Amino acid sequence: MENIEQLVATLSKDVTPVKSAPHPYVLSLKWLAIASAYLIVSFAFSGFRPDLANAMQNPWFVAELVLLFVLFITTAIAAAVLSFPDMHQKRNMAYGPLWVAGLFVLMILFAWLADSPSTPLPMHSLACTVSIILFSLPPFVATFYALRKLASTHLRLSSSIAVLFALSTGAIWERLHEQNDSIIHVIEWHYLPILACSVLGLWLGKKLLKW
Amino acid sequence: MADNSVDYSALMRQALDGDAQAYATLLNETSRLLRPYLVKRLFSGNEVDDVLQEILISIHKARHTYDGTRPYKPWAYAIAKFRLHDHLRSHYSDNLHDAEDIDALENSLPENVTKNEFLYESISGEVEKLPEKQATILRMMHQEGYTAKEVAEKIGMKESAVKVAAHRAYKVLREKLER
Repeated sequence: MENIEQLVATLSKDVTPVKSAPHPYVLSLKWLAIASAYLIVSFAFSGFRPDLANAMQNPWFVAELVLLFVLFITTAIAAAVLSFPDMHQKRNMAYGPLWVAGLFVLMILFAWLADSPSTPLPMHSLACTVSIILFSLPPFVATFYALRKLASTHLRLSSSIAVLFALSTGAIWERLHEQNDSIIHVIEWHYLPILACSVLGLWLGKKLLKW
Repeated sequence: MADNSVDYSALMRQALDGDAQAYATLLNETSRLLRPYLVKRLFSGNEVDDVLQEILISIHKARHTYDGTRPYKPWAYAIAKFRLHDHLRSHYSDNLHDAEDIDALENSLPENVTKNEFLYESISGEVEKLPEKQATILRMMHQEGYTAKEVAEKIGMKESAVKVAAHRAYKVLREKLER
């Protein structure tokens, strides 16, 4: 008990005014704005895929893009909510991306079934995975830098969702940049590596977000 | 028991504005609020105090994540649960480590493992150089006169773990003194 009293005295002795962290919605809007600006600048340099207008005629491609954007937005919100010890008392928002990811998997499955006869595979393979990961590095670093300033009590989930947010930025860029309609290629070299990286994110959280 | 009339949110808002008195009151009330929660989940009073200190430090570190507009208790309990799980995880991993060693050592331990065969004063300098846990155990057993069982109760360890720690400490001391 004496130790507790001493500790309270020490902690309260030099207490100074503290600025509260922004609301998670404000925080996520900030991250989304930065990531969107990064995407726009990147497209200004790399350009969109030449057959984008044609690709937009394919409802599965449109559905994939819409869900990717929804994943991009929900992961930003969830990562921000999860960076507060009590999830800012918005538990549902924290688990939102899991529902979207489930829907995404279903959509990809239907798109795969609808891809008959199969669209020919492109010549490249691993290059896509590498591009997505490299493209996602800046948002990854920026998000983790922001997360480390807060105080998550769900280190693994928070980190995994943040990784997913960064990689969804990369996935959007790759899908709008790369001229490819093979769903098998997309599953194999885009989304499975993203899933693997998100699982790796669970481990990373214990290392990078400890406080 | 925690006082239900305490307005934790208001105290935290004042603390965030730099009010030291409000902050001290908040931390004291928080420790009163959390103590029963920890007592139910931990084994000894010392452990409760240790974890409570960890929690108060964490609350201090994370206070910028509380804005005073939402209930305080879920925020404080989330931090308490996080630190408690951290503590239990390391406690059980330590115990597991000790358990493996006990299995290996238990059969070879002599009956008189804790028997006093030397004057504590003559080796107290060497004892203090031992790891803290071992030094504490030897000090309690040979200076303060506690039995291994009593030491175990006081510091929240198993009796066999205390004996093993003492045995290891004797071994280290013997090696040092024989040099």
